[in-house]
Amino acid sequence: MATLSSDLIWEVTRPTSAFLVKRKQAGGVSFSRDPLNLKGKFSRKYEGLVADKAIGVQAGENGGVTLLTKKADKSHQPASAIQSATFPASRSTRKTYANIVNATTKRNYRPDLRADAVARASAIRKSQKAVKADKPKKARGNKAQA
Amino acid sequence: MSRPSVTIIGADGSASKDTIAFPNVFKSPIRPDIVHSTHSGMAKNRRQPYAVSEKAGHQTSAESWGTGRAVARIPRVSGGGTHRAGQAAFGNMCRSGRMFAPTKVWRKWHQKINLNQKRFATASALAASTSSALLLARGHNISTVPEVPLVVSSTAFADGAIAKTSKAVALLKAVGAGADVEKVKNTRKTRAGKGKLRGRRHRQQRGPLVVYNPDEDGKELVTAFRNIPGVETSSVYSLNLLQLAPGGHLGRFIVWTSSAFSALDKVYGSTTEASALKKDFLLPSAIMKQPDLSKIINSSEVQNVLRPVRGSAISKRTVVQKKNPLKNFQVQLRLNPYAAAFSKNQLGQAKVEQDKSERAGEKFDELLHTN
Repeated sequence: MATLSSDLIWEVTRPTSAFLVKRKQAGGVSFSRDPLNLKGKFSRKYEGLVADKAIGVQAGENGGVTLLTKKADKSHQPASAIQSATFPASRSTRKTYANIVNATTKRNYRPDLRADAVARASAIRKSQKAVKADKPKKARGNKAQA
Repeated sequence: MSRPSVTIIGADGSASKDTIAFPNVFKSPIRPDIVHSTHSGMAKNRRQPYAVSEKAGHQTSAESWGTGRAVARIPRVSGGGTHRAGQAAFGNMCRSGRMFAPTKVWRKWHQKINLNQKRFATASALAASTSSALLLARGHNISTVPEVPLVVSSTAFADGAIAKTSKAVALLKAVGAGADVEKVKNTRKTRAGKGKLRGRRHRQQRGPLVVYNPDEDGKELVTAFRNIPGVETSSVYSLNLLQLAPGGHLGRFIVWTSSAFSALDKVYGSTTEASALKKDFLLPSAIMKQPDLSKIINSSEVQNVLRPVRGSAISKRTVVQKKNPLKNFQVQLRLNPYAAAFSKNQLGQAKVEQDKSERAGEKFDELLHTN
């Protein structure tokens, strides 16, 4: 009995999990630190720890994003269970999203997470943009006269 | 789905060609409720009794002043010449009084747990240690571990080969357990609260548990591993739930020696054959053979007896924006199939062909005006 069912693992890890972050604020929201959790939400659908197949999108080291996928048949081999592919910052965002979709949804790999994976990649790419410096403020009123 | 066997990892961390069959104990049902309740009982059985002094708060000769002196009737310290005189004493609400219900050494410190329940919990905790997901959920760092359960060849321990801590650390690193040991080192924190003063200065996480077979691996490895933070050792013949499920949480990372791993069937037996070493013990079997919900739902047995889906292939779409049928022709068609023909024949544009009816004749006027 090596491969436990996802439902059983979820029931066991639901009350206590190393990835679970519980706070009393906001009605006791539960977040997850799992790298394979696309929304950071501790729920049956998004928790990558529980699922046989899971997708993770992380910020790459030198910009860009890294796509993590879990191999269903390697569940008992942690060292080789997670595959990662990096899309560099030089790749256009549209191509990055297309690549993520091609690597997952198009291969029947968790199509339910398609929008979330793209949204996360998009948020990461947006956060990597340099912050534009504010324009110098135009003097108005009396200051403009002086 | 059961995996038939586990690869034995060599001392250098490479997978050997040898495999060991999966022992029956790993097929035990996983019951966090039983493990948790058994653990909380067992954790209580190592406590040292404590109590406050029998005399605390009573080492004074206080007497009540009785009524009539406009103070409470609580016993008051007698005498004079010091501030203490006249102060209330004994009561739990008094300064320097006794506590409420002073603790006694004869409190019920220990919990009796049924032997079979302890064995069930141990078997369940062992079964949970074969799931990498549960190991991760417990917080172990197993990203470099080649296989779970991790079985290291006993040849690595032969003839007291691992008698020094440096050797032991090198072995753990080689087999991929180094990351977990490293993680534990960084978690050593000063304990919050009074425990610091009571011999529990620091708290830290637990790392891998090394399970060995003392008959074949010897006992030198115990001294080798004991100074590595978080690492514990246990003989396969005396596995303890407090080590297999620390905190009552399933999924301890276990490093097995191959001889310990193969001894498991002898120690625990199977669901039908009694264990050789435990009297009257059969392994528990799962009540639910198939715990995969989606597999049950999608099984032909269930699908065959379900009634067919009501309604047509076109199902009602809920939460969608309501479309205006006057502006959206497709929506109009859905409501009024005649709209297609109406529009195709351009009936809307066609002139209404109507004979100009004859004017009302004279006869009509005549009739109208008869009176």
